[in-house]
Amino acid sequence: MTRTTKKLTLGVALAALTAGGAVAQDWGDFSGYTLRVKLIGGAQYEPLYATISEWEAATGATVDILSRKNHFELDREIKQDIAAGTLNWCVGSNHTSFAPQYGNIYADLNDLIAPEVLAEFTPLLLEHSTVDGRLVQLPRHSDVSNLFYQKSLFEDADNQAAFLAEYGYELAPPETWAQVFDQAMFFADPPNFFGTQFVGKDEAVTGRFYEMLVANGGAMFDDDWNPTFNSEAGVEALEFFVGLYNAGAVPAGVPNYLWDDTGLGFASGTVALNLDWGGWSAFFNDADNSAVAGNVGVIRAPMGSAGLRTGWSGSHSFSITEGCDNKEAAASFITFLTDHDRQMIEARMGILPTRTAVWDDALAEFADAGNDFMVEVFSTFRTSMAEDAFTPPLIPEWIEVSNVLWPQLQAAMVGDATPQAALDRAARDAAEIMEDAGYN
Amino acid sequence: MSRAFQTGRVNWTPVLLLLPAIGVMMFVVALPLVFSLYTSLTSYRLTRPETIWDFVWFRNYERLFGNRDFWVAFGRTILFLTIALNVQLILGLGIALLINKITWGQRTLRTIMMFPMMFSPILVGFQFKFIFNDNIGILNNALQSLGWTDRAIPWLVDGKLAMFSIIFAEVWMSTSVFAILLLAGLFAMPRDPLEAAKVDGCNAWQVFRHITLPFLMPFAFIAMTIRSLDIARAYDIVKVMTDGGPAGRTELLWTMIARTAYQDARMGQANAAAYLSTILSIAFTYYFYLKLVESRRYMGGVQ
Repeated sequence: MTRTTKKLTLGVALAALTAGGAVAQDWGDFSGYTLRVKLIGGAQYEPLYATISEWEAATGATVDILSRKNHFELDREIKQDIAAGTLNWCVGSNHTSFAPQYGNIYADLNDLIAPEVLAEFTPLLLEHSTVDGRLVQLPRHSDVSNLFYQKSLFEDADNQAAFLAEYGYELAPPETWAQVFDQAMFFADPPNFFGTQFVGKDEAVTGRFYEMLVANGGAMFDDDWNPTFNSEAGVEALEFFVGLYNAGAVPAGVPNYLWDDTGLGFASGTVALNLDWGGWSAFFNDADNSAVAGNVGVIRAPMGSAGLRTGWSGSHSFSITEGCDNKEAAASFITFLTDHDRQMIEARMGILPTRTAVWDDALAEFADAGNDFMVEVFSTFRTSMAEDAFTPPLIPEWIEVSNVLWPQLQAAMVGDATPQAALDRAARDAAEIMEDAGYN
Repeated sequence: MSRAFQTGRVNWTPVLLLLPAIGVMMFVVALPLVFSLYTSLTSYRLTRPETIWDFVWFRNYERLFGNRDFWVAFGRTILFLTIALNVQLILGLGIALLINKITWGQRTLRTIMMFPMMFSPILVGFQFKFIFNDNIGILNNALQSLGWTDRAIPWLVDGKLAMFSIIFAEVWMSTSVFAILLLAGLFAMPRDPLEAAKVDGCNAWQVFRHITLPFLMPFAFIAMTIRSLDIARAYDIVKVMTDGGPAGRTELLWTMIARTAYQDARMGQANAAAYLSTILSIAFTYYFYLKLVESRRYMGGVQ
């Protein structure tokens, strides 16, 4: 036996052992049981579902996927189920931003999943998944936004000299949002090139405003749930977006942008700086799809005027209904879907994991493969997920408040109202919502 | 046997025969209507089913009457309907007349013409959202490459342009419905009056104005009635392209109602708004019905 063959045999034996280990993990025996589930659908979420058959083989149970829709449609369907009293399924995809709306339809997972399993998850994420002291969801993957930029623009000597002359400090990837503002103005050359961009409608723009508000030292509500986002910090946050918009440093269409517009915009090579979700990383650096592939840098999201970093974050998750007739099977199923090997499948695509060990192993895999870009992405996002991430207020009224806020944010951008007037109006409407909901 | 049913003054046979149909209609139409009317008088929230018993009389309606945004959206929906319907009618009529002239390849053209109808409105919305995108959209790129403009036109942000863009998408998708119905009308048209008119020395415009058009009008009004109901429920395209924004500039009744009903889960309030918007649909349908009767009477030679 040559040395190479020996190594190979050992490798195969090891691989078989590891694989054997995975199969040997006891997912329980639920022969003959049919687990009814409603899952989030979409290209990047599907690869995980291909592994469901492994769980079926291991447990003898069958999984019946009742629906596979995007989050907003799934949300509508779940609300209809609540209204019609047809919550006759066991496992549903959930999201930290949506979870508080559903009241107590979902079971407390602290009672269903072993503490040693829960201990393997990032503690901050379990905290975000808790509503009223109940762990209503198990995080599948999470996301936060960091700043992507075109490296060549910052390395260009002419740019460096011109920027220094105009703004009095060195051109470098920005540490604060004030610097982002300067750099965006500096790089902008509408309609051919833009300094930065942002999403401009729906909960997306509410979230962007919210994280800037927090980074500037403000808050959405005070301790008694009175809206306080029309504070000085709020006006400062909104003026950041309005200022960039009025100066033409962002595309004129941003009030109508959502995630696909900003993602495709940065990939088109016409934007210098782009705050975006980790899930886009691989796409930005893929030469088939992106004009900036090989030229993408990423840094932690910059700081607002209060010295805090923006870090609006949310997690996709799985929940078990209170009315589930076999919670044990359901718990086994969602533990399976979020276990180490399953999260590795998603991490390889650039989706951020929720288990501490998966961060290490995915990083090691990227490093071994010589994928420096993904190493940079995962290190950056790991830090911001651990230190900067925060959720919106976990109250059922969040989406409703968002729906009175975002049209006003747009009104300020397109010049229908001053930032102060727009926020005052939204705060009045939000106060009414909170009052109707019985907060004060 | 039949005599037994005919005893008394009432003839029960037709009633009995109609009963299943009436039953089905009651179940699928009347019941949901009554139920939603009831919920519009409650503070019903989807996520709190028990609120369906919280009867608040006309509070939802009172709120709507005092809500300026609602009435602006109401007015905008009427404007949207009027413009979209008329543009679709004119374009549809033009296409139908042209296709009617073709003798070779007409069937293929008719099939191709129906392609836009086969797309789901959501896909049409996404397609036009990216065509009208100010930075990476095809339209602005074309305009800039041709040197017609040197700035990025914010198609979906400017109030008037955004409405134009949405109407454009709606017209693209549904003009063929008009064209098909009007083409059916043209096929059904008798040749004799046309030939008689030509013999009498009418020119092409006179034939069109006094014979073809009056004959087509009943078809046009039927198409208008059907389309007005569809357009009054325009939701998907607007939701995808602008979601009523920016700052409510393209808000239509149904984007507003759907947001209230599902995202905010305030079904009671949303049903009240939906009931008021039904009045709009009924008004349009009634108007077109009157026009239809009128155009038929004209056809019948009363005038």
